[in-house]
Amino acid sequence: MAERTLQSRIEVKTKFSPPVAGVASFVLPGLGQMIVGQVYRGILLLLAFGSGLGIYVWRIAEIGRREVGFGAKFGKAIDLEPMFFILSLVVLVIVWLLIAYDAYRCVQQGKRGGSGVFLSILAMFFVLGWQISQIDVVRMVREAPDALPPLSKVLWPWKAAIEYDIEKELGDARILATEEGDIPVPNVPLADEPYLIATPTQGELSTQDPDTGELIPGTILTLVGGNFRPNIETAIWWKDPNGNEFQIRQEGQYVSAVTDDQGAFRIEVIMPYRLTPPSAVGPLYHDVFALQTREIGRPKASEALRLTVERMIETIFMGMMATFFGIILSIPVSFLAARNIMGGSRITMGIYFLTRTIMNIIRSIEPLIWALIAVVWVGLGPFAGIVALTIHSIAALTKLYSEAIEGIDPGPIEAVRATGANTLQTIMYGVIPQMISPFISFSIYRWDINVRMSTIIGLVGGGGIGFLLVQYIRLLDYRSAGIAVWFIAVTVAILDYVSAEIRARLI
Amino acid sequence: MIEIKNLSKTYADGTQALKDVSFTVEDGQFLVVIGLSGSGKSTLLRCINRLVEPTEGQIIWNGTDIAAAEIADLRKIRRSFGMIFQHFNLVKRSTVLTNVMAGRLGYVSTAKSIFHRFPKGDRDMAAAAIERLGLTDQTNKLARELSGGQQQRVGIARALMQEPQVILADEPVASLDPVLAHTILGYLEQLNQEDGMTVICSLHYLDLIQRYASHVIGLRDGRIVWQGDSAAIQTMTDKEFKDIYGEEAERVSAGRSATEADRG
Repeated sequence: MAERTLQSRIEVKTKFSPPVAGVASFVLPGLGQMIVGQVYRGILLLLAFGSGLGIYVWRIAEIGRREVGFGAKFGKAIDLEPMFFILSLVVLVIVWLLIAYDAYRCVQQGKRGGSGVFLSILAMFFVLGWQISQIDVVRMVREAPDALPPLSKVLWPWKAAIEYDIEKELGDARILATEEGDIPVPNVPLADEPYLIATPTQGELSTQDPDTGELIPGTILTLVGGNFRPNIETAIWWKDPNGNEFQIRQEGQYVSAVTDDQGAFRIEVIMPYRLTPPSAVGPLYHDVFALQTREIGRPKASEALRLTVERMIETIFMGMMATFFGIILSIPVSFLAARNIMGGSRITMGIYFLTRTIMNIIRSIEPLIWALIAVVWVGLGPFAGIVALTIHSIAALTKLYSEAIEGIDPGPIEAVRATGANTLQTIMYGVIPQMISPFISFSIYRWDINVRMSTIIGLVGGGGIGFLLVQYIRLLDYRSAGIAVWFIAVTVAILDYVSAEIRARLI
Repeated sequence: MIEIKNLSKTYADGTQALKDVSFTVEDGQFLVVIGLSGSGKSTLLRCINRLVEPTEGQIIWNGTDIAAAEIADLRKIRRSFGMIFQHFNLVKRSTVLTNVMAGRLGYVSTAKSIFHRFPKGDRDMAAAAIERLGLTDQTNKLARELSGGQQQRVGIARALMQEPQVILADEPVASLDPVLAHTILGYLEQLNQEDGMTVICSLHYLDLIQRYASHVIGLRDGRIVWQGDSAAIQTMTDKEFKDIYGEEAERVSAGRSATEADRG
């Protein structure tokens, strides 16, 4: 660098005058710099400007792909995204002019010129990158409120971590929904059990107008309930002849009544829309029922919490097993990848290079990709994750171990041999002590990585907590997902700390 | 008495490190080997305990030819030759005690030593050796936590564990500053004079050679170019020194004083 700075102070001797260089760069950006001797700078500027212009034209073609002719495409582009296309055109022109000015200055001042032109190129790529990567800050700010409910659930999910046993109070009435059949006898008030009386006990379900698609309301039922627990919200449910139960909705709201002091209520509901299969013959009896639920007993761990803990344990063991297999398999391989061991002959050096190359290729493929392959190979589940992590661990540990082997100091080995020690003693006192702490250190580091990796390897079906997490996210169950996220974060943090502590003591 | 006869060493790459070297070391001598880097000093020392296999020649020690010894006998021979090194050659991640105990490996059974089980006598001996070198406080420290001078003292303690009759010292003070050089050579002198061990030591600095050596061998390009006793060393002329160190003698000499001035 220092040398270049010196060079740039030396006057550029050229037969071209400053305006000629400027005009040359105006005709073809970078040409001016090239002809006055700054070839490298000229090529760099030409490539930068060329790729910027190319990307600009590509974005125009992309946005106006239905238009014919560049003019029409350009018009469409300006029409749809005026901000970007005008701004980046301005920047492009500025860059172009600055390159020409840079060529002029190169000759006139006899030096390299400033770095302003490169700043303008940086600005050009920034503007282009903004559009290509579809950055939309306005939307991000506008729709931030939508992200808050799931975010708050993920950040504080503990409401979903506990649940209670449920006690139910239930009153049921039978309704005939067809012309034929015996009309059910209306219920009568019961002495000490919850009851529900529906009037009438025969009616028509809501249907859909076949032409307009509008909903035609069915018969209105009057429901009278009694002997429920007082002053509690009571939900009205429907059960069709197939046994499917659902809470009745009217105008988008679930229908429910609140009981009075005596535990009684009265409410009118429209018989819901329910598709009756065409094959159905004979009388079709539906049920309407009123349901009160109440949480009783002690709080207990919810299913989400239990599953999370189970999967987390599975995850930690996945990481452990993968590390274990990785260590066992990589130790022999690492000797093949150590230059000081394999330096003997051309054949061994060939094996060395082959091993290194294969391991580098395996290592450069992410564990997630290996998991995709492993899932096809051994099926969904934790074993696939272990296979994927083991493959990646072998490659990564081989590199680290072989470097530890290469780093062995031959001095102590020579000294131990000189005492009269035999080969085994020399290995125990001269070789192993030098290798053991880097080996342990690298292995713990790998275990740390593998547990972290196995938390996400489930995303592609590799088992562990990631498998659970991705299911909760797809079900939009953000609270349960939040529990999984918390467990991952805490486990990884603990592991990170522990592994760093152990390694710090070893090295 | 060690009798070296027509010793030659040619390495696999064709380098001739030693060419027909013959000399005799009487018991109790403090023999200093001098010569430029690459003159064959290290190879000579390592041939004596066969860390380097000699190509030709004999090394007669107490009537046996070390150069021709079987591997099983070689172990027994090696333990009589304590060796200390320029770079100390300690296992940096092992404790001082483990490094010192390693000096005993030639005496104990393989199975026991692998599990670090040494007889009580050996453990006491290690404690004594560590104390003699003034390292008692460092016993359980890792070797790498020690200073250079301390590490070389651990190296001497390790050699002492072999109960050696000969000490081979390969530039033992080349990595240390002059004050420490005198400390370390002082220990070797003590072993030589009080314990009656023969010392074969390679050194670079003329003043150290004149101070400690009872006999000197000068090596140049693998051949002996100078031999003399204590009296001859004191009167060694510049020309003789130049013969050993070649054209670079003056530069070495100037470099030495400059280096010492720096360090001082």
